[in-house]
Amino acid sequence: MKNLLIIFVSTVLINNLVLYYFLGICPFLGVSARIESAFGMGVAVIFVMTLANALSWLIYKFVLLNLGLGFLQYLVFILVIASLVQIVEMFVRKFSPPLYKALGIFLPLITVNCAILGASLLMVTKNYNFLESVVYGFAGGIGFTIIIMVMAGIREELEYSEVPSVFKGAAITLVITGLLALIFMGFSGIISA
Amino acid sequence: MKEIIVACITLGITGFAFALILAFLSRKLKVEEDPRITQIISLLPAANCGACGFAGCRGFAQAVINEGKIFSGCIPGGHEINEKIAKIIGVKGGITLKQKTAATCRCGAQLGEKKESSVYSGPFTCQAAHITGSLDCAYGCLSYGDCIKACPTGAITLKSKKIYVEVKKCIACGKCVEVCPRKLFELVPILSNIGVYNVCCNNNEKLNNIKKVCSRGCIACGLCTRVNDSPYYLKDNLSRIDFTKAKEETPLREGKEKCPTRCIFKLE
Repeated sequence: MKNLLIIFVSTVLINNLVLYYFLGICPFLGVSARIESAFGMGVAVIFVMTLANALSWLIYKFVLLNLGLGFLQYLVFILVIASLVQIVEMFVRKFSPPLYKALGIFLPLITVNCAILGASLLMVTKNYNFLESVVYGFAGGIGFTIIIMVMAGIREELEYSEVPSVFKGAAITLVITGLLALIFMGFSGIISA
Repeated sequence: MKEIIVACITLGITGFAFALILAFLSRKLKVEEDPRITQIISLLPAANCGACGFAGCRGFAQAVINEGKIFSGCIPGGHEINEKIAKIIGVKGGITLKQKTAATCRCGAQLGEKKESSVYSGPFTCQAAHITGSLDCAYGCLSYGDCIKACPTGAITLKSKKIYVEVKKCIACGKCVEVCPRKLFELVPILSNIGVYNVCCNNNEKLNNIKKVCSRGCIACGLCTRVNDSPYYLKDNLSRIDFTKAKEETPLREGKEKCPTRCIFKLE
């Protein structure tokens, strides 16, 4: 239990997928203009990341390792993630049209979010068991959501300031991301060893 | 060699298994939608460029079906597909499209013509400036460009603090109408063989008050209403155009030329 809590806190704050591993920058830059869309993207990522980690772990343990095919993890995880996203999209479209409309184009966009693949591959490197992998996926999603909403808040405020024209758009966002990464490094003292 | 074969077979089976699951689920979880949407999508160029202002070709098709009118914003498709789409959604009376409209900004004053006796410092957006007011005229265009940002096709431009709308690019989506805090935008019909005319002033105060704030405002002198077959009429100290009466260009043009403050514009 304490183990899971440590994984959760460290993935959300310290080893954040966006700020520490610099994964998922593309949707992070693209969708962080408005708080509502950032939240939508974040929720979708939490959902998919948790499920993808769970499914990927099962396939890795019971299919790939038994056949000595651990090296296929890259291909197989991408396959799992792409199919999972399609299935989730079909379910959401059928059973919750308002949610489908709210998430809109974000759901298929998550397939190419490298943070999802990153979370799956990292859980293998860190040798997590099933429960730890699921918690890792969930925490990764939460961390992503927090950061993307913080960025959306900052960018909405930024619209009222006079950004120099060379910095407008992606440039200033990346500068801010760098600053956020530095800030969140301050959390690394929370968990001692 | 054995590993390669095992790897290929495993990957193949996994991929095939997922494909089967997806195929099965897509049958089971099918959502019924209007078949015309698929027909329209097959007519569109499938570029998903978003030039029309909607979320891809599917978004365009859905908007057409939902609103029952054809948007003219599909740049790759052009006018040829509009006719085909018209047949599908069954526009009444053959292939005639409903009269197209375009957005016009009803403030015609440029830099120097609208008076600005106070200095504004604050967020440079129209919505913010409108709250405190930055021009002398309470109805005039603040020219901080909220409409330019809202326009999905980039049809709106700003020159010398006056807003210009390019009629060809306007898809009459109405975003500018929503976003302008002074409600200056109006969707007017594009008259065939004539173009777009509008009286560009929204200030309905009397002559003396208008002269104090702007040299280009409509003073309701009525000269435009007195040309032959004039489609202009006066209401609330402002001149307006009755578009149902505007069949020829001559009265519109004459009214525009007679206007002493030159507040009647023709949009290009």
